[in-house]
Amino acid sequence: MVFDWLHLGILVALIVGLTFAGAPLVLSLFVAPKAKGGDFAMPYECGMRPMGTSWIRFGPNFYIYALLFLAFDVDVLYLFPVATYYPEATGLIAFFKVFVFLAILVLAIAYFWAKGVFTWPRQIR
Amino acid sequence: MNIGPITVPIELVRIMVAILAFSLFIGLNGVILVWLERKVAGHVQRRPGPYEVGPHGLLQPVADALKLIGKQLFIPKGADKILFWAAPILSFLPVFLLLIPMPFGPKLFALDVDLGLLLILAFAGVNVLAICLAGWSSRNKWSLLGAARAVSQCVAYEIPMLLSLLSVAFMEGTLNLTQIVNQQEPWLWNIVYQPLAFIIFFVCAVAETNRCPFDLPEAESELTAGFHTEYSGMAFSMFMLAEYSYIIVVCCVATAVFLGGWHGPFYPGSWWFLGKVYALILVFMWLRWTYPRVRFDQLLNINWKWLLPLSLLNLFVTAFLVKVL
Repeated sequence: MVFDWLHLGILVALIVGLTFAGAPLVLSLFVAPKAKGGDFAMPYECGMRPMGTSWIRFGPNFYIYALLFLAFDVDVLYLFPVATYYPEATGLIAFFKVFVFLAILVLAIAYFWAKGVFTWPRQIR
Repeated sequence: MNIGPITVPIELVRIMVAILAFSLFIGLNGVILVWLERKVAGHVQRRPGPYEVGPHGLLQPVADALKLIGKQLFIPKGADKILFWAAPILSFLPVFLLLIPMPFGPKLFALDVDLGLLLILAFAGVNVLAICLAGWSSRNKWSLLGAARAVSQCVAYEIPMLLSLLSVAFMEGTLNLTQIVNQQEPWLWNIVYQPLAFIIFFVCAVAETNRCPFDLPEAESELTAGFHTEYSGMAFSMFMLAEYSYIIVVCCVATAVFLGGWHGPFYPGSWWFLGKVYALILVFMWLRWTYPRVRFDQLLNINWKWLLPLSLLNLFVTAFLVKVL
């Protein structure tokens, strides 16, 4: 990999960010009291005893949104390199290429919409 | 650059000075914004807000921070310890990185990054991961629900945000924030050409930073505190600090991309940049204390049924006009 000042900048920024966030936590460990026993470690459920564990399976509603996001985000990412060259590209052919790409994205939304993904409570047909 | 007998590369000096300046900026901002938020909240609700500690309560956040350092850090029973502590740190980790490509003034920037916009968008995603870890590792139902909401909200609003920024990038032909600012004229900022993109970006920015009216992940009345229910003391304040830092970052991006950066009709310079950033932050706070929270299905449907098609349309029109005009 070619050395770039940006790489060093990213590295330094991350290290300083780690220190900036970690130092108050460590400081707090020294200063703060360390009480034990009782129900200190009970997960907070409005004061009641917790009912069962929270690491359970729950409805796949959010899973579909995650899939949607993945599809769109990866597609949109391809447009960034296009954007840097777009104003210099000659002729309308560049526009038509972008048009086709975006039209497929629009079709994807239309498909999910018709499928009922955006209808609550969920009724996927 | 020459310091005595040693020659130091100018970029190294830039990076070091910039990171030092950023840590001061972010630290000071955390203090000022906490105070400002409570003050704005107070005045919106016709009460003075914090008033006792320091002049007009200005030292209240410092007192709060000192109090929070002295609070015990709890780990709930059965939680995943490593991930539980990694989350608040991870949440704050990329903040300085996000400020590196930001052009604060004509000569005032850390590094001139060609992929500045992409760098910011990519690393801002780390916050979503941190929220996800925080919610899951706490082993608390509120946290888990808050995290699930936060993640589906953040990822949903990321797409119109990318598309609205892309329409500016299509117009300017660059992802370099310094160049984007340079190509705008003193008065004809990008918001004049891209009003719809700015509105979409702003709505998405409010949602991405989990601010009211889109603060479903930490909706107090339904989820106690959402993903940070189990965090106490400093760990909690790290999440707060990260939240305020991300507000700064999105306002900086909005200023650089849409509002002409450091350009102004007279005396262009970094004061224009900072003025616009703080004006946007005041709008954020104003929104928070004015609007009620939306319902969760409404929140997701605003995005998928309105913002996403509108931002795609905006990109279509921009791409067409760039080629035709």
